[in-house]
Amino acid sequence: MATVVELPRLTDTMEEGVIAQWHVAVGDKVKRGQVIAEIETDKATMEFESFDAGIVLKLVAEEGETLELGAAIAVFGKKGEDAAATLAAWKGGGTAAPEAEAEAAPAAAEQAEQAEQAEKVEDAEEAAPAAEAASSSSAEDERIPASPLARRLARENDLELSSIPGSGPHGRVIKADVIKAADATKASPASAKQEVARPKSTPATGKDVDHDGRPYASFEDRPIKLTPMRKTIAKRMTQSKRDIPHINLTIPIFMDAAAAVRKELNGVLSGVKISFNDILIYAVAKALRAHPRVNACYTPEGLIEYGDVHVGVAVAVEGGLVVPVVRFADQKTLKRISLDIRDLGKRAKDKSLKPDEMTGSTFTVSNLGMFGIESFTAVINPGEGAILAVGRIADEAVVEGGEVVIRKVMRATLCSDHRVFDGADNARFLATLKKILEAPMSLFT
Amino acid sequence: MTNDKDSPPADPGNYDAYFTSKENDLRWYREMLRIRRFEEMAARSYTRGKISGFLHLYIGQEAIAVATKEVLEPQDRVVSTYRTHGFAIALGSSPGACMAEMYGKATGLVAGVGGSMHFFDRDNQLWGGYAIIGNHVPVATGHAFASKYLGDDGVTFCFLGDGALAIGPTHEGWTLAGLWKLPIVFVVENNRYSMGTPLERSIPVSDVTVKAPGYNMASDRFRVTSVAETAERLAAAAKLAREESRPVLVELITYRFRGHSMSDPAKYRNRDEVAESRSWDPLERTYNALMHKHGMTEEALEELDDEVVAEMEAAVEFAENSPVPEPSARFKNILVEES
Amino acid sequence: MPEIQIRHAIRDAMREEMTRDDRVFLMGEEVGHYKGAYKCSEGLLEEFGERRVIDTPIAETGFAGVGIGAAMAGLRPIIEFMTFNFSAVAFDQILNNAAKIHHMTNGQHSVPMVFRGPNAGAHMLGSTHSQAFEPFYAHIPGLIVVAVATPYDAKGLLKTAIRDPNPVIFLESELMYGVKGEVPEEEYLIPFGVADTKRAGDDVTVITWGQGVPVALKAAELAAEQGIECDVIDLRTLRPLDMESVLESVRRTNRAIVLFHGWPYGGVGCEIIAQIQEKAFDHLDAPVLRVCYEDVPMPYAENLENLVLPTPERGLAAIREVSYAR
Repeated sequence: MATVVELPRLTDTMEEGVIAQWHVAVGDKVKRGQVIAEIETDKATMEFESFDAGIVLKLVAEEGETLELGAAIAVFGKKGEDAAATLAAWKGGGTAAPEAEAEAAPAAAEQAEQAEQAEKVEDAEEAAPAAEAASSSSAEDERIPASPLARRLARENDLELSSIPGSGPHGRVIKADVIKAADATKASPASAKQEVARPKSTPATGKDVDHDGRPYASFEDRPIKLTPMRKTIAKRMTQSKRDIPHINLTIPIFMDAAAAVRKELNGVLSGVKISFNDILIYAVAKALRAHPRVNACYTPEGLIEYGDVHVGVAVAVEGGLVVPVVRFADQKTLKRISLDIRDLGKRAKDKSLKPDEMTGSTFTVSNLGMFGIESFTAVINPGEGAILAVGRIADEAVVEGGEVVIRKVMRATLCSDHRVFDGADNARFLATLKKILEAPMSLFT
Repeated sequence: MTNDKDSPPADPGNYDAYFTSKENDLRWYREMLRIRRFEEMAARSYTRGKISGFLHLYIGQEAIAVATKEVLEPQDRVVSTYRTHGFAIALGSSPGACMAEMYGKATGLVAGVGGSMHFFDRDNQLWGGYAIIGNHVPVATGHAFASKYLGDDGVTFCFLGDGALAIGPTHEGWTLAGLWKLPIVFVVENNRYSMGTPLERSIPVSDVTVKAPGYNMASDRFRVTSVAETAERLAAAAKLAREESRPVLVELITYRFRGHSMSDPAKYRNRDEVAESRSWDPLERTYNALMHKHGMTEEALEELDDEVVAEMEAAVEFAENSPVPEPSARFKNILVEES
Repeated sequence: MPEIQIRHAIRDAMREEMTRDDRVFLMGEEVGHYKGAYKCSEGLLEEFGERRVIDTPIAETGFAGVGIGAAMAGLRPIIEFMTFNFSAVAFDQILNNAAKIHHMTNGQHSVPMVFRGPNAGAHMLGSTHSQAFEPFYAHIPGLIVVAVATPYDAKGLLKTAIRDPNPVIFLESELMYGVKGEVPEEEYLIPFGVADTKRAGDDVTVITWGQGVPVALKAAELAAEQGIECDVIDLRTLRPLDMESVLESVRRTNRAIVLFHGWPYGGVGCEIIAQIQEKAFDHLDAPVLRVCYEDVPMPYAENLENLVLPTPERGLAAIREVSYAR
């Protein structure tokens, strides 16, 4: 039986081909592996080595003809065989028909797998009918940020997500919100769904909604137990504000000279680093000695001018503040004051101060400069006549002699008991303080 | 052991030099022909769209696989590359299973998970089948390590192409084999092309065996013109590896008549070169020896050819009629399930 | 129970298995005469000789491949990488041979072996020596990936790894070789795919492994001081993954973080989070967060390295965030 030679697929991507050149002619004897033609493919012109052996009976394809893969291009056989009959009996390219066959098998395999998957899908459907119901019933929930758990809990509790305020980031409704809402609903079943759970202290007004009409999140108030320190502060400050008529005067102080002195001292002193606060306390002590009325207090029986100068330094600690005392501050060197304050401050934070280290002050300084506060008023410590509230030191533009110059400015506010002394006394004390700080060399006179 | 650098081949017409008894020559001719016809069938199936992916043919190099089978002891191993159909057929793998593998069928040599490039047939001593150039060299070295560790007297034959000479794993494998004196024969099948790039443009020396001393390997180098000579010299290499426990490097000068893979038109070679090499084709030469030395007729040899073609057509038919793997097969053999 | 270091737990596991099975051998750079770069193989050369404790030249591709070839031929190799950073040059052997042979040969061959060594950032080693390799290896079907954080786990899991018929990537930590813990004197094995709850709690699930474990435990301690109790799950094996333990915990806590040494992009952390959202979506009350390396090559400078590494403080911040703690 003669053989029909088909146009081969010579590359993986070839779809058609052209016989570029025949290397055999009718009547030639062809061996397997012999190059019989050159075929132009999508990639290159390639030699076609014959798979078949025999005599070339007919060349079906002409050179230059574009042919489908598997098309008959030649007929090989034995001498005398009929090429035309072979071609007539030939059922077309070897490519197309078997491919359909080949497809059938994987198709069956796919079916089997689809069946397998269908089973899985059924299982999943059984497990999650609630999910489907929920998603169809509350399509409006789509845009409401909520954790998956919150959504599920809302679904299970039959709550509209849109009515639950979200306390998470970006108003996300989280588990706690839904539980709160569910509890509220149980508490007042009549108004379920509409009414939103609200904390006791800030009852819902019905107007607290955002631009989407959703209520804003409301957080629980947090009760904090009063510590003994808090109790003391509350008691004393209330007493002070209730009983003492405060008078508050603020003065700007140029700290350039003090800064220079501080720098110089820190260059020569060892074992200590002088801060602005140390210099301030030192100056305050000196000024108090010069103005004994400020270092005094009011009693119904009469005023008491204190003999000693004990300066309290307010220190913020966890849960409140304490006021350790620099005793005999007017008699101490700057270095001594600096070391005292360092030690007291450290032990204030450790909470290892002894009670007598926190009592007996005759005047208090409160410095909030380190927080960037410009100026403020403070509350007088009962038993004292005044408190000095000190703000930050900052470069400011100042007009001096018609020129704008930059000065380091600090604002000090003396808050004083009007019963003990008056505005003018207050001003004179501040003027002295200002003078000392602006010309610290005067301390050496 | 000799190391004739440019091993002048025997006169193509001098059949006495390397052809032996009619019985041997006929047996080897048949084996070589089986490989060639198998691959031609595979190529045809590829042209019909039945086989996809890469298909690298061994046509022209068949004598090497046949000679290897000749020298193998039962405890030995053959590790080869992605151009491995020839070894499978020569070592005794079923052509049907090999063809079915390329068809991606459940009855394939490795049940359709590997394809042309990943043939493994442990029962027939074929230990792969590696498709990443050079990465089988350390693995084969490991087989030899195991042979030495276990004292099983086995030799590993590790085949690699000249294209694997530049890549690192080859050198690491050779270094360890030399350092630890492992019983392994590295056979470089130098078909002169690293894919489409000729040897002189891919490695700095033309004689691969000049590398051998650097790894403390003995070496041999010759052009493959017959199964007889190839078997004899591979046997000598194996003996050295087995008895002295040391690696041996053998460079075989050979030629693939086809492109690197089916989609390679091999335009980088000229017709004269191919024609010259074809004159050394061991298959062709054995055919001539059978006719002119052993007095066989053309008809008898055509009859033999028809038998072989029929065997390979049956292999194609087997492949075509075989089922595709079950969908669940893709989950098989990812991890060894504890027994 | 005696307290021993992780390095000794590893050595004891190897010694016991080498005694038990002559097919087991140890191969790697400086494992023999030098006793191991981190002294994990001290004494083994003296006990088992050069046949079974094999020093290699610096050739990771070569000796990883030799291990694979030997495993296919019936041996049970333990291949030590001086650090897993060096496994990168043997990656092809692990990816294309160790992990694929069993599959590609249709079960004709298997690769029973262990690749072990320290993984992830240590201290000031720079970008090439500070990488976590679990995402690379856990990505590959055909491998088992283990990461250990205690001597008990190290010994029990290494013994299992050596006996397992599959290729096992066994990740240790350079920083943790000296970590001590109790290890029973009698023989025990720890199965793969079973996570261990290293600290129990009901508020937040903290999923971790390997070098992340001590960081996660410290973060959980800090959280506890603030009243948040964490369930710290040490996965121990990353492939196969014990998702059941993770999911059970997440369904209870409704919130989770994944804390690990490694880059955030496309790693094991992502896999865990993907599975949590697939399988426990309706139980989540907060997005699952990752605490891991920043998405940068590891810098050498100490201050920069400290910024990149996961810390207990960063763990705590994530725990607080998923708890909606204000």
